[in-house]
Amino acid sequence: MKITLKIWRQDSPKSKGKLETFHLDGVEDDMSFLEMLDMLNEQLATEGKRTVEFDHDCREGICGQCSLVINGQAHGHESHYTTCQTHMRSFKDGQTIFIEPFRAKAFPVIRDLKVDRSSMDRIIQAGGYISAFTGMAPEANSIPIHHNISESAFDSAACIGCGACIATCKNSSAALFMSAKVAHLAKLPQGQVERKERIAWMVNAHDEEGFGSCTHTGACAMVCPQEVELLDIARMNYEYNRALCSTN
Amino acid sequence: MAFIQGLFKTSVARKNIMAVTGLFTAFFLVIHLVGNLILILPDSFFPIEFWDNVASQHDMYNAYSHFLVHFWPISVVAWILYAGLAIHIIDALLITLTNWKAKGEKYVKSDNSTSTWYSRNMGILGIIIGIFIVVHMGQFWLKYKVLGTEHDLYDLVVGTFKQTWVVVFYEIGIIALGFHLAHGITSAHRSLGIHPKSIMNVIKYIGLCFAVVMAVLYGIIPLIIYFNN
Repeated sequence: MKITLKIWRQDSPKSKGKLETFHLDGVEDDMSFLEMLDMLNEQLATEGKRTVEFDHDCREGICGQCSLVINGQAHGHESHYTTCQTHMRSFKDGQTIFIEPFRAKAFPVIRDLKVDRSSMDRIIQAGGYISAFTGMAPEANSIPIHHNISESAFDSAACIGCGACIATCKNSSAALFMSAKVAHLAKLPQGQVERKERIAWMVNAHDEEGFGSCTHTGACAMVCPQEVELLDIARMNYEYNRALCSTN
Repeated sequence: MAFIQGLFKTSVARKNIMAVTGLFTAFFLVIHLVGNLILILPDSFFPIEFWDNVASQHDMYNAYSHFLVHFWPISVVAWILYAGLAIHIIDALLITLTNWKAKGEKYVKSDNSTSTWYSRNMGILGIIIGIFIVVHMGQFWLKYKVLGTEHDLYDLVVGTFKQTWVVVFYEIGIIALGFHLAHGITSAHRSLGIHPKSIMNVIKYIGLCFAVVMAVLYGIIPLIIYFNN
């Protein structure tokens, strides 16, 4: 298949970027989106031109490294997919595809499609951990917790930290990302030690990094590759108010 | 002190304030509607033997408005409501400014299919409602309660709704209110931390029903008066 690509090119964080148009011929249906970009880069390298830079790692949909806003949607138009799991068969022959980096003030562009997402790491460093010594993986069922609660905690823990929620949010809020960690730890016995402090530390870090407020449009949950639920944000707000009202 | 500081400081806290003031105002809408439904009830609804000295819609509406102005606890609640609305607006401006600052460069190609248009445009809907409230209060509250230039509120209301532009303006304001509520009620509960799925599913449904009922009932009042006169 033949496709036209309009890709955001930007030399450095400070320089001005713009869309550049490329034409690719011989794209195969079973190529992943990133393999298609590899093909473009091989072509550019052969021509002696600078290749397009983009983030990627595992290419199995679990590491959270790939990003990209494809035709206006984070990770592309297929619901709850990562970019690396999006395949060219979901595009039409002759289609024009817009590829832009994840946008937010807290996600400065490094080059082309690569953005600095370390602001998310700093939110986790502020409180997304537990201080209890957990040792090796415990025997199954050795922790006294209801199956439904552990499953629910696991649903929240499944967040891969890709940042699609932030790139999609009209306010560039990291509420879904942050709430996944808050909800995950609040549901488990191991997370109780720092439960009250965690929420304050993480929300403060979120605001200091320059993310916006959540207005519950729900767009974040629609693009989340791990289907983290919007209700996790409500859970996070509950944890905030619980901490605010607790006296000790 | 930490409680007070925490109440205003963060992005989560500001949404709490939006939720509380918004829900309080939504509650007021119910009370306000109940009183004003008198305007569309037929005269036969007010038999003199049942309602003391009230034989018509005209009498009943003026008795109701006289009660509102002269019963002091209502004035106290009214001032709490004005304060709540003012805080709701100021808080919305603060949140919007922070959100604008948080945004990166605009996407060249954008796709908004992942959310509803009204959830993304609560600010614009809020501005329309704000303009509506100013005009609405200028037409009735200012003339009847503050300046005291009008003594028969029923005649004032019916006279006002004889004008086509007023009815059109009210319908626009009320539709904006309906969409604002359609997102706002559910969003406010999420902001306050209501998170069990079963409860939130019910609240989402109630929120939508509330928005539709409010918009329809408020919307028919000017229309019925306009077409009856």
